[in-house]
Amino acid sequence: MTTVVLKNLVKAYGNTQVLHGIDLEIKSGEFVVLVGPSGCGKSTTLRMIAGLEEVTSGEIQIGGNLVNDLEPKDRDIAMVFQNYAIYPHMTVRKNIGFGLRTSKLSKTERDQRIDEVAAILELTNLLERKPNQLSGGQRQRVAMGRAMVRNPSAFLFDEPLSNLDAQLRTQMRLEIKKLHQRVGNTIIFVTHDQVEAMTMADRIVIMKDGVIQQVGTPLEVFYQPANTFVARFIGAPSMNMLNGEVGGEDLQLDNGTRMSVPLNKLSKGQKITVGLRPDDLLVKENEGLFSGKVSLVEPLGSDTLAYVDVNGTEVIAKASGRFPPAIGDRVNLHSAAENIHLFDSNTGEAIQ
Amino acid sequence: MGLYKRLTISQKQIVWAWGLLALPILFYVVVRFYPTANAIALSFQEWNLLGSRSWIGFENYTKLFSDPVFWKVFANTFIYLLLGTPTSLVVAFLIAYHLDKLRFMHGTIRALYFLPFMTTAVAMAWVWRWFYQPVPIGVFNNFLATLGIAQIPFLNSTTYALPSVLAPAIWAGLGFQVIIFMAGLRAIPQTYYEAARIDGITTWETLTEITLPLLKPTIVFLVVFSSIGFLRIFDQVFNMTTNDPGGPLNSTKPLVLMIYDTAFNSFDMGYAAAQTVVLFSVLLVVSLVQLRIMRDN
Repeated sequence: MTTVVLKNLVKAYGNTQVLHGIDLEIKSGEFVVLVGPSGCGKSTTLRMIAGLEEVTSGEIQIGGNLVNDLEPKDRDIAMVFQNYAIYPHMTVRKNIGFGLRTSKLSKTERDQRIDEVAAILELTNLLERKPNQLSGGQRQRVAMGRAMVRNPSAFLFDEPLSNLDAQLRTQMRLEIKKLHQRVGNTIIFVTHDQVEAMTMADRIVIMKDGVIQQVGTPLEVFYQPANTFVARFIGAPSMNMLNGEVGGEDLQLDNGTRMSVPLNKLSKGQKITVGLRPDDLLVKENEGLFSGKVSLVEPLGSDTLAYVDVNGTEVIAKASGRFPPAIGDRVNLHSAAENIHLFDSNTGEAIQ
Repeated sequence: MGLYKRLTISQKQIVWAWGLLALPILFYVVVRFYPTANAIALSFQEWNLLGSRSWIGFENYTKLFSDPVFWKVFANTFIYLLLGTPTSLVVAFLIAYHLDKLRFMHGTIRALYFLPFMTTAVAMAWVWRWFYQPVPIGVFNNFLATLGIAQIPFLNSTTYALPSVLAPAIWAGLGFQVIIFMAGLRAIPQTYYEAARIDGITTWETLTEITLPLLKPTIVFLVVFSSIGFLRIFDQVFNMTTNDPGGPLNSTKPLVLMIYDTAFNSFDMGYAAAQTVVLFSVLLVVSLVQLRIMRDN
């Protein structure tokens, strides 16, 4: 069991700084997901923890030891790569056992370890096969097996599910989560997929442009997003954002609509962005924060997503699946007060 | 046109395929297969290029196999192969392996290695011939002289002549092999090496367990390709020993040079044809054996 601590971690390539001081403490046995759009520095962070990229400045501690200058093999970590990095010319058994070469185990102990891991991952029948005889999901499991066999104190996953089709991805997501519950090692998992982050993580680290935007449990980042970036990144479809200004008694949106929300903590004239999740913005008959005209509907079965034109601003709202509104209908949109997120328009920070 | 329109799509494709293939097939039959068959027929005949051809059965072959020069030449050809192929491959791999890791002046250095491959063999052979001359002309011997080491009679010695002729041949092919090796190395995903680093695999193990096995297709290609090249070596030998083609006591003479001599100096076409048939068989057998040995299981 191992803690991983990053202190003011900076990475620069020449004059281009890509990580601007990352601070993060990962508890022992925790499943942490780094998520963000491509180029946000999540993979770089992971590769620095692995020791594949040099640290420009700052500290990386694994299990309490400073590892900045340690070779990857001395960090007691294992990594699963996006393309799996399993060797095509070796059998599954050899691939899984490859990481044990440097260990001091005897031949029998090694075989035993490989068999144990293969059993956990249901690879026992495939041990003598070559990777080109395996399906995508099986290859993925071999890659995990190779990481597990060394029994490292921390697992690093670099977008391991990106090469799988949607169905398999969902299944592997579950398997990785089950595996974590079973072995309990610290896991740092990188993905650009917010659904993966939400479903698997104990804590999510949301990054953008080399800076951490928010660290929190899935529910925290969903219900209390720290800023507009996090609010829009987490949750699908993205949160509706409406710009406006605090008036005397209510909010005056830029598109001319007025909206009554609790105004405590707000000062008159303050520029505000209102965030409303499509899931929380419901198409209603009578009551509503504002109204608009339906321009497009997307039936999802259980619900219908309605694209509503509110005085020139398009917002997405949820309507009944069975009785969806028709295109051109004028509808009222309503949201409960606790589901309305307010952000400072200038800084993008949430107003709590 | 009406007939063509009535064909199905796949029939039309076949018509086009054969239509486009007809020309190269015709060309190959006329300039390759017919002469090859003719050469095989000629190897059982006697012909001096001017008179009529007369059948003499296996006489050319019995003459060949009892000719001590043929066995000397045969041995030389295999020495070129057995010395040239491994040496050139190992050197080319070492250069490619290290050049691949080099960023500084990468393009320039690669171009320098490739340059000899683009130079004509004749010009190069003459430059090397000049290198090998005794003091005060030859570069190598001059260098040895400044160190106080005895002169080496590179091209005039029965021992050193063959390796001396082989060296420029290896050097000339190096650029090509380096480029092919580098392409092969580039094709290996970087994550394989990163995974090995995390697993703590040593550099040597990474080379022998990951890099070389994954380079196998490249290696097979280069072994076959360069073997054929060394078995057919001619330009360097001919041009480096023009006054005495084949070196002192035939010490550098390869099969192709013997064929050339028999055909165009002795005008014994039937005998020369028998030698080409032998060379062809050797090339075929060597290539097939190599492909079989190195084929993926």
